[in-house]
Amino acid sequence: MLLDIIIDGLIKGSVYALLAIGFSLVLGVARIINIAHTALFMTAAYLIYIGSKLMGLPLLLAMAAAVVLTVLLGLVVYRLFIQPIQEHEAAVLIATIAVAMMLQEVFLMSFGGHYLGVPPLVDGYLTIMGAKITYQHLLALGLSLVMLVGVRFFLMQTRLGLALRSTAQDREVANLMGMDVNRVALLTVAVSVGLAAMTGAIVVPLITVEPTMWMHPLIMMLAIVVLGGLGSIEGSFVGAYILGFAESLVVFMLPMGSFLKDSVALSVMILVLLIRPEGLFGVSFEEER
Amino acid sequence: MLLEVNNLTVCYDKAMILNGISLKVDTGELVSLVGPNGAGKSTVLRAITGLVAWEKRMKRGTTGGEVTIEGDVLFEGKPISQTPAHEIVRLGLVHCPERRRPFREMSVQDNLMAGAYLFGGKGQVQDDLDKVFQLFPVLKKRLGQVSGTLSGGEQQMLAVGRALMSRPKLLCIDEPSTGLAPLMRQEVFNKIVEIRRTGVTILLVEQEVASVFSLTDRNYVLSSGRIIAQGKGDDLLQDEVIRKTYLGL
Repeated sequence: MLLDIIIDGLIKGSVYALLAIGFSLVLGVARIINIAHTALFMTAAYLIYIGSKLMGLPLLLAMAAAVVLTVLLGLVVYRLFIQPIQEHEAAVLIATIAVAMMLQEVFLMSFGGHYLGVPPLVDGYLTIMGAKITYQHLLALGLSLVMLVGVRFFLMQTRLGLALRSTAQDREVANLMGMDVNRVALLTVAVSVGLAAMTGAIVVPLITVEPTMWMHPLIMMLAIVVLGGLGSIEGSFVGAYILGFAESLVVFMLPMGSFLKDSVALSVMILVLLIRPEGLFGVSFEEER
Repeated sequence: MLLEVNNLTVCYDKAMILNGISLKVDTGELVSLVGPNGAGKSTVLRAITGLVAWEKRMKRGTTGGEVTIEGDVLFEGKPISQTPAHEIVRLGLVHCPERRRPFREMSVQDNLMAGAYLFGGKGQVQDDLDKVFQLFPVLKKRLGQVSGTLSGGEQQMLAVGRALMSRPKLLCIDEPSTGLAPLMRQEVFNKIVEIRRTGVTILLVEQEVASVFSLTDRNYVLSSGRIIAQGKGDDLLQDEVIRKTYLGL
C-alpha cells in the first residue's frame, strides 16, 4: 500500500509537473492562459490510439508521430486563433477554451464516449514487499524524470532557454537584447505542446482514453500553478508533487477517494488564494520605482 | 553622423508625446538629453531603438489606443525607422532602459549572457565579460546572485554592463541616476565617462542637469515634446530663461 502510494504519487507528480511547466512557460512568455493545454495532451493520447490500434503502426512509431502531429496542430492553432488576438488577454482565454471544447467534441463525434486503451510498451510486473508494480509504471516514472531533467537543462543551459526565460520576465527588454520575442513565443508554444504530447505518450498505456480525459488534469494543473505561484517554474514543479501525492493519498486511503480527487485540488487552490495568493514561489509583481 | 533623428513625432492615442524632434550624435560624442518629468525623454530613446514601433504593432487592434510614429531615424546613414527593435541592437545601437529593468529572477551571469545573446555562448564573449568586470568589479563578485536582490546601484551597473555585452557603437542610457544615493550617482556618472573613453558613443537621458552638464560635449533640452534649446552645458546654464523655466535651477 505504502509503495503503491509512493510510486503512484511520483508518477502523478511527474506527469502534472510536466503539464504545469509547459503551461507556465506559455503563460510566462506569451501571456496565454492556455486552457487547451491538457486537451492537446488528450489529442496526443487519441492519436496514439489511432496510430497503434486503428492503423496498426508499431507503438513507438505511433507515439513519435502523435507527438509531431500534436505539436504541428498546436502551432497551427496558435498562428490561426491566438496570435492575431494575442494582446486581448480575455479573448485569448476564451479562444483557448473554445479550442479545448472543439477537440473534445471532435473526439466525441469520431469515437463516441467509449473508454479506449493503448497496450503497454513493456509487459510484466515486479513484486516488491507485496506490492505489484508493472514495468510500464516504472518506465513512465523513469521517462518523466528524464524529461524533467531535460527541460531544466534546456531552460538553464541553452541559449534558447535563456531567451525564453528573459522573454518571460520582460518582453520589452528581451527585445532590446536582440531576441525576436514573437519567434521566442512560437518556440515556447512548440516546446509546451511538445511536453504535453510527450507526457501523453508516456502515460497513455496507464490511463483510459476518452473525450473528457482532459478535464481532471486541467483542474490539477490549474491548482498546481496557483499553489506554486503563477509563472514560477520551480513552483509548478514543487506544487505538482504536492498535489500528485495528495491525490494518491486520497485515492488510496479514503473510501470512494477517487471521486474526491478534484475537490482536494480545488480546496487547495481556494486555500492558497485565501492565505497566500502569490503561491509558494510566487513573485509579487510590484514595480520598482 | 552616427545617429541622426529628423522631425520625429510620436502620438499615443490622441496625445502628442513628441512633436518634431531632430537631433544628431556624432561618433565619439557624449550627448545628453535633459528635461523635466514627462517631457518625452524616454520616448525619444524608445522611438530610436524601435520600441515605440514594436508597441504600435503589439497594440494593433486592441483597446489600448493607436500609436503613431513619424519621422526619420538614421544610424550610420542608414534609415532604421522600419527596422524591428531586435535587429536594431545588431547594428550596434543599444538601449539601456529606464528603471534599469534587470531580469530580476535571473542571476547576474544570466543577465549578462542575455545581453550577449546575439554573440553566441560563453566562449565567444569572454573578452566582453572581462571588460565588463574590469569596469564593474562588483558584478564579478555577485555573479551567481539573483539580480533582484542587488542594491539599486548594483542593478544600475548590471543594466549598463548587460548593455555593454550587446557590443554598442552608440549606447543610449535612460536615467541611470534615478533613485540612487548621491555618492552612487557620482560613481555611475564616472563609469559612463570611462565607457565613453573606451570609444563608445553615448546618448544620455537625465533629469539631473547639474552633474550631467559637466560631463557632456553637447546637450539637448526637451520640454513638452519639443527640443527648446541645445548647446554646451555652460552656455545653457548661462541662459536665464532656460535655467528658470526648463531646468528649474
